[in-house]
Amino acid sequence: MSTRRDFLKGTGAAGLSALLGPSLLQPAAARAEQLTSAGVWKTSGSHWGAIEALVKGGQVAEVRPLADDPHPTNMVNGIQGLIYSPSRVRYPMARAEWLDKRKDADRTSRGDNRFVRLTWDEALDLFFEEMERVQVSHGPSGLYAGATGWRQTGQFHSCINHMNRAVSMYGGYVKKAGDYSTGAGQTILPYVLGSTEVYSQGTSWPLILDNAKTIVFWANDPLKNLQVGWTCETHEPFEYFDQLRDKIASGEIRSISVDPVRTKTQKHIGAEQLYINPMTDVPFMLALAHTLHTEGLHDQEFLSVYTLGYEPFIAYVMGEAEDGVEKTPEWAAPICGVPVDTIKEFARLLASDRTQLIFGWSVQRQQHGEQPYWMGAIIAAMLGQIGLPGGGISYSHHYSGIGVAPSGASMPGAFPLNLDIGVDPVRTDDNFMGASSTIPVARWIDCLMNPGGTVEHNGHTVTYPDIRMAIFTGCNPFHHHQDHNKMRVAIQKLETIVAIDYAWTATCRHADLVLPACTQFERNDIDSYGSYSRSGVIAMKKLVDPLFHSKTDFEIFSLFCKRFDREEEYTRGWDEMEWVKSLYETTRSANEGSYEMPSFDEFWEKGIVRFERGEPWVRHADFRDDPEINALGTPSGFIEISSRTIGNYGYDDCGEHPKWMEKIERSHGGPGSEKFPLWLQSCHPDQRLHSQMCESDPYRATYAVKDREPVYVNPEDAAERGIEDGDIVRVFNDRGQLLAGAVLSEDYPRGVIRIHEGAWYGPVDASPNALDTYGDPNTVTLDVGASKLSQATSANTCIVEMEKFKGEVPQVTAFGGPTSI
Amino acid sequence: MSLKSTLSSFWNTVSRPATTISLGVISLGGFITGIIFWGGFNTAMELTNTEEFCVSCHAMRDNVYVELQSTVHWENRTGVRATCPDCHVPHEWTNKVARKMQASKEVWAAVFGTINTREKFEERRAELAKHEWARLEANNSLECRNCHDYDSMDWDAMSAEARFYMEPAAALNTGCIECHKGIAHHLPDNVAVGSPAMAKLENKANSGSVTVGEDYFAIRDIPVYDSAESTEPVGNLTLGAAVEILDESGDRIQFALKAWRKDKGFGRVIFDEFGHNIRVAVLSKDTAQDAQLVEASAPQTDEATGLDWAPVTVTLWSDKQGYVDEIDELWTVAEESYASNCSTCHAQPDPDHFGTNSWPAQFNGMVGFTNMDEDQANLVLTYLQKHSADYGGSH
Repeated sequence: MSTRRDFLKGTGAAGLSALLGPSLLQPAAARAEQLTSAGVWKTSGSHWGAIEALVKGGQVAEVRPLADDPHPTNMVNGIQGLIYSPSRVRYPMARAEWLDKRKDADRTSRGDNRFVRLTWDEALDLFFEEMERVQVSHGPSGLYAGATGWRQTGQFHSCINHMNRAVSMYGGYVKKAGDYSTGAGQTILPYVLGSTEVYSQGTSWPLILDNAKTIVFWANDPLKNLQVGWTCETHEPFEYFDQLRDKIASGEIRSISVDPVRTKTQKHIGAEQLYINPMTDVPFMLALAHTLHTEGLHDQEFLSVYTLGYEPFIAYVMGEAEDGVEKTPEWAAPICGVPVDTIKEFARLLASDRTQLIFGWSVQRQQHGEQPYWMGAIIAAMLGQIGLPGGGISYSHHYSGIGVAPSGASMPGAFPLNLDIGVDPVRTDDNFMGASSTIPVARWIDCLMNPGGTVEHNGHTVTYPDIRMAIFTGCNPFHHHQDHNKMRVAIQKLETIVAIDYAWTATCRHADLVLPACTQFERNDIDSYGSYSRSGVIAMKKLVDPLFHSKTDFEIFSLFCKRFDREEEYTRGWDEMEWVKSLYETTRSANEGSYEMPSFDEFWEKGIVRFERGEPWVRHADFRDDPEINALGTPSGFIEISSRTIGNYGYDDCGEHPKWMEKIERSHGGPGSEKFPLWLQSCHPDQRLHSQMCESDPYRATYAVKDREPVYVNPEDAAERGIEDGDIVRVFNDRGQLLAGAVLSEDYPRGVIRIHEGAWYGPVDASPNALDTYGDPNTVTLDVGASKLSQATSANTCIVEMEKFKGEVPQVTAFGGPTSI
Repeated sequence: MSLKSTLSSFWNTVSRPATTISLGVISLGGFITGIIFWGGFNTAMELTNTEEFCVSCHAMRDNVYVELQSTVHWENRTGVRATCPDCHVPHEWTNKVARKMQASKEVWAAVFGTINTREKFEERRAELAKHEWARLEANNSLECRNCHDYDSMDWDAMSAEARFYMEPAAALNTGCIECHKGIAHHLPDNVAVGSPAMAKLENKANSGSVTVGEDYFAIRDIPVYDSAESTEPVGNLTLGAAVEILDESGDRIQFALKAWRKDKGFGRVIFDEFGHNIRVAVLSKDTAQDAQLVEASAPQTDEATGLDWAPVTVTLWSDKQGYVDEIDELWTVAEESYASNCSTCHAQPDPDHFGTNSWPAQFNGMVGFTNMDEDQANLVLTYLQKHSADYGGSH
């Protein structure tokens, strides 16, 4: 990393400085945009951090991290390839079959990748005609424009806001609830801890490092995930992990990673691993509760003052509930694969001194994903350290710089997603024909397959609308949704799919109309520097003009709104720089007197405004201090170890308190493991942001194996199957099949393989059960709701078999766009 | 020091009530003195209308005057400068004299050191600013309009952004100060500005015109007392609380708040309705447990939590300010704030997507991502709870 900086610092520096002058050797953040003989360096931001790019002859010649970032991610090296990817959407295009017949077109051929080039006028006319047709014939329940995802960064150009505002200018549509990252967690924790927790600021690292004696990372690999952020990432938490490494080395802190896999974080900080069988965290935790309770290690006073419902829960643990099973360590050991003594010792260790529990999101991305999160909160409550520095539980320290004490400054707002006050849509029809206007996001495929059907969700009954058209922008459901073969059948119900993106994702491939947006590097914008740390405001300067025929989302939707006479209302008559400046000025005046910000021109020239770090902070300390006044947001205001509210829903898959429930399928002796003995984990990638940057060819080449996505596998599991490192393998189950490149690693235990989510889906053709040529794990994952409570994704409940691929290896079809006809 | 003592002695003399002279003598004397000093008075008043006079005291020179110098009202491309009296002294004679009478308070403060340091000035900045804003709101920004007139604005010469905000304001003849607070001096800390609708509500609530026997709503946290005379608050009503005014005494009113409380803890938090976690008052421990002030009836069990809730009538006192007779406008303000603050990353869920007791958890989970301050967050959360699925909305 930082090769250019290192290079300049090295022996070549003297010679170079003579050639280029001193400017390049100044700290980048302090340097204004400068024209040198070598081109212009421009500042911008990204999910991967702040960058500066050398623009030379109208091309981005080099991208490097801004000197302000002391822990830049290697992924910055992928940005240039992202801009100049052969997978860029170059022109507006329509699916060949669809263009003539529209709603009457054959939909079974979706995904055959045959497209026809259009002009922008033709494409936008088609877009509007279809939306109007669907709205007139089916009302707002016919249109799904609610799915949104990790848009490119930039608060003005945020594509979610542009699409939602533009479509709302015309009429209503079906929205989504929840997301694919934290669906079960964000649903259960409000009942237990009174907040979604997964997106909440956590205790500041300095207080954890000063007070905790034991830090447990539970199914969590923060050093992998903290590389990216929702807005421009600052990578500030990394310094604390270095401090943690030193404290572990000196024996001041003991850190344990509860995980089947040796994680990047575990290896970096030198933590111990506590191996556990996949999907069996709940039996392990019930046994921990059993040990804490029977050995009197639980904090009875904390439980009495701050919690409700311990009795029904502990009765279940002690075998006094209906099932009559006592959840002893002896009961749990064979299920979770942790020896009896290790369970007991671990429980004693947790209770011995100050213990900080830090959970990742993977364990709630599985069937019954609510249960391990609920159990985590109960273990923390039994330890009685919630609200103390270095104690209690966190579900967010791996996300977007959480744990860095926030500055307190106001951050830029965004292009308004909603209509301005006083602006009415063209159609005010809000008749959803008896169906729900909001659906749980991970159930949208079920919704397509069962219009009018019902599903339980979080205490309500959702009635599925009859959706005819979907609009996706900066959102790739063909990456984040499970079971692609099921999806391909379900989307045949849709008459029209519109996708707006800068790259030919699998969602574009399966769409009818594809519009080319430009990348964030081809537009001017402004962003928060540090999503949660609020460390500053960064200028995102246009590096080059939009490539090919692409346009900004702002321009695309301005032209779209023009078709129904709402362009002025949509843009307010402001242009790009007026909007950017307005977002800056609003932030500046909100911060006036507290956090000084320079004039816009000065900011734009410097590229960044920094704010000082705030005071360290302890999560739930106010609740601990006074639980009556600072009540939690639970129904009772207290920590709910048992929830009567949930109990009253009467769900069979999420009851009054956490329980161990066997999964539909599970490795390591669980259901189905004889046929499919390998657990496939599809966690967040180390070298992408979800599916973003997979299309960056030179960067992908640094980790791909024979052009395929890596599948990480234990050497003995590989040997049993005659697989060697670097082999192309077929990973399969009854749902689908994919090709991937084997990487043998002792970091993975027997029976566990990993393919990072976000690998681009590239089926050989449009046929059912088509082989995926690149290695998207969601080709084989399970599509069921985690429970009736959350209806969240169950991606990590997935077992497979793998074999060395024999026969002619098909070309990778995931990249490079469509066949133009 | 000598000026201070002279003025002090003068003030003592004129402010002492007359005890031995007849009213007639005072009136006649005043009349004659008036004629003699008429010319001098006007001259003196004109003198006090100069910038030099205003900045002759430290509080003005070192604080607001310096702040003015960094604004467009001090330096601009056309070279027109607004000095202190241009904005702060009415140009019409009667109003001018009225303002001068008010201003004697500021002279008092200057002479006796109430605001003679930066810290003291900052402590009172909000109060001083609010007086001035109230004055400008009352005259619909008259002094601003001596120079800035909607009728003379050239919309085409404005930026699109300026026009977006100015045209609707002109259509409603909105006073300048309602949006442009802080345009010439620093804003006080912790003062929510920017929403003209909220400013209107604040004005209404600040008027303190309440009638015994009528029902009102608190539009912000209001300190409460256990008697008409007490100066020690025993808690506060929270925004949205609905009270009936029982009595009044001087600047205080006695109210009855009919609500609920949980049987776990000290009962310090009072809730709106049975089983609904919408707080309407927070009381001190002693007050909460005083059966005279908080009269509780037999509790009922909330099936959702197993906790007992008792109906209570809280009878306490407060100042007259902070109440309005109609609450819907407050929710309109909250709705706008919710829609803009909670849609920067995603579409905001409909208020009726969650139940009253689910909203706090949803809201607390995300509020750290927004720029809302505590008051604003409180307002928005209360709005969401009051418009949740439990209030008739469908999922």
